[in-house]
Amino acid sequence: MDLDNARELPRAGFNFDNCKRNATLLNRGFKPPITTKTGTTIVGIIYKDGVILGADTRATEGPIVSDKNCAKIHYLAKNIYCCGAGTAADTEMTTDLISSQLELHRLQTDREVRVVAANTMLKQMLFRYQGHISAALVLGGVDKTGPHIYSIHPHGSSDKLPYATMGSGSLAAMTVFESRWKPDLSEEEGKKLVRDADPTGVFNDLGSGSNIDLCVIRKGSVEYLRNYELANKKGKRQLDYRFKTGTSTVLHTNIKDLLVTERVQAVPMEIS
Amino acid sequence: MSILAYNGGCVVAMRGKDCVAIATDHRFGIQAQTISTDFKKVFHIGPRMFLGLTGLQTDILTVRDRLMFRKNLYETRENREMCPKPFSAMMSSFLYEHRFGPYFIEPVVAGLDPKTMEPFICNMDLIGCPNAPDDFVVAGTCAEQLYGMCETLWKPDLEPDQLFEVIAQSIVNAFDRDAMSGWGATVYIIEKDKITERTLKTRMD
Amino acid sequence: MALAEICKISNAPYMRPNAWSSADVEEEQKGLMCNLANPYTLAAPPFENPLHNLNQIQANGDKTGVKINFDHGTTTLGFKFKGGVLLAVDSRATGGSYIGSQSMKKIVEINQFMLGTLAGGAADCVYWDRVLSKECRLHELRNKERISVAAASKIMANIAHEYKGMGLSMGMMLAGYDKRGPGLYYVDSEGSRTPGNLFSVGSGSLYAYGVLDSGYHWDLEDKEAQELGRRAIYHATFRDAYSGGIIRVYHIKEDGWVNISNTDCMELHYMYQEQLKQQAAK
Repeated sequence: MDLDNARELPRAGFNFDNCKRNATLLNRGFKPPITTKTGTTIVGIIYKDGVILGADTRATEGPIVSDKNCAKIHYLAKNIYCCGAGTAADTEMTTDLISSQLELHRLQTDREVRVVAANTMLKQMLFRYQGHISAALVLGGVDKTGPHIYSIHPHGSSDKLPYATMGSGSLAAMTVFESRWKPDLSEEEGKKLVRDADPTGVFNDLGSGSNIDLCVIRKGSVEYLRNYELANKKGKRQLDYRFKTGTSTVLHTNIKDLLVTERVQAVPMEIS
Repeated sequence: MSILAYNGGCVVAMRGKDCVAIATDHRFGIQAQTISTDFKKVFHIGPRMFLGLTGLQTDILTVRDRLMFRKNLYETRENREMCPKPFSAMMSSFLYEHRFGPYFIEPVVAGLDPKTMEPFICNMDLIGCPNAPDDFVVAGTCAEQLYGMCETLWKPDLEPDQLFEVIAQSIVNAFDRDAMSGWGATVYIIEKDKITERTLKTRMD
Repeated sequence: MALAEICKISNAPYMRPNAWSSADVEEEQKGLMCNLANPYTLAAPPFENPLHNLNQIQANGDKTGVKINFDHGTTTLGFKFKGGVLLAVDSRATGGSYIGSQSMKKIVEINQFMLGTLAGGAADCVYWDRVLSKECRLHELRNKERISVAAASKIMANIAHEYKGMGLSMGMMLAGYDKRGPGLYYVDSEGSRTPGNLFSVGSGSLYAYGVLDSGYHWDLEDKEAQELGRRAIYHATFRDAYSGGIIRVYHIKEDGWVNISNTDCMELHYMYQEQLKQQAAK
């Protein structure tokens, strides 16, 4: 049946219906709205038994901090996680999408997916969109071939590295890795290194801030350390405001009662 | 001028103790000209769920209708009420679908989970990056002012009466410093057993 | 200094090497305080051909983001009638959509018999009204006679013309009472100067005109005229986003100006609403 509203039914892929209208509006001098960005310092290293990913937790909308504790380490598969920097929605959706594809891939092949597969899928998707999906990623995971860290750029290029940083605070964090990273770090040393590298971004880069998340991926186990360090605890408020009931003048009130009493009546079925 | 500020308006939502509050202003304008003062940007979309949309008015109405379509479709298929959390996820994917030709809106969702009665608030940017904190969310032309007010007035575990005063004072004082929003305000307090809608007396300039 | 040549700033004062002799210091001081001695000497923007280049910078502002945003947005009105001149203004100052002040004084008391209203760049208006105030006082001392509104407005128009195209933004009314009776002039930064019976200036002026035109006639009583002015501004504050705050009403009679009322818009709104309700009930 050809329903008139069938075109409203959700379809796969992007929708470009508004593009022409929006371009016209922008041509008339209306500024394009800003999207939520994760300014971000994201890092990842390889240590003796696996990889450690680290991220700050600030999301910004222009000069405003719109989320003080967002999660930038995204789940891709049981053995693979991915840090995202750039347009927040893009990193979120891209990793979600690839995560689903990896799960399908795992079910189809009946094997643990490899990090290189995740890397290929991500970079192929980003390349297809020619940098319009602005996601800069640090991908990390452990598979049967060992621990891997990849950094993936928005246009679809990627590097396979022993340690990687991305985002606006990447240069600050990289200084720490360049001076202190060495092969075969122990887990404690590795965590400390990441814990030391990430705050350099948090404290010196305006786009990064708040807390530090860590994710340790070992062979066969993962430890997601959400808010591993609360680097910026809010001070305790000395006094607080309390309004007397009736401070705000109300013109009229309308109360809707939600207590629904339900009565079930059995209707006998018609027997032909 | 940002296209999001073309029609003016603002919405704020807050979590309280076993309750949530969502407030909206009433202005619908075209740039500096106030066209009407009874345009509420908050819609009652489920027994205990509200959707607030700020931004370009034509898109507010379109997005609301499109979302209601998808929500009704979901409820028909699943034969159960849609909770705030899946609704937000659905909205997020709806907005991201229009990543390269977005609707010029900033949404806010507030509600109680129908099963657990857990308060839920969430906002997004115009391409659907979700943000569900445990204090408050804001949207609209006076978002900066609202952030300031909420940051000072909000505290955890506010009872419905106190939550009303906090959200009312926040929105009124925020839009009193913004030329594009105001002209009346409505506050909805959503509790387990009732929804209270209060219209506030505000400046009308 | 090839770069300075390219940027056309090689002749700018700040590019000149300084020996810091006492003469240099004196010169520097003169440059820094010039408008204290003579209010008409404003520092020009520090680049060549400011008239052309400043306009270009402002015109490209939307693209480059380099733009000077002054406080803007206003509703002011003034009209002559049987009982003298009436001025009414709002009190909101906005920078973009942000409300910077709700209690600005947009009527400047130039002397006991003359008032000026401000619209446009707040700083421009305040500065030049102060200069005008000084000129009026000097005129009084020199000629042993109060300056006429016509002459005062001419001074203002001359100033505006002198700086035309340099970025001044003013739309002001000068109102007063002199030997010719009530006077009302409109002067703006484009250099125009118009006498008239009824004016409204600012972003909300259209709404104010609507009310004024429906209620204005020459033989208004004092009370009626004051209420008409207040009402016109109130309706403008309701419709116009950039007008609001306190409505100030001034009345200029033969023996000088009187501040009739300063009423908050919110108070007026709910009062008028109540009146409407009562009328509907009848």
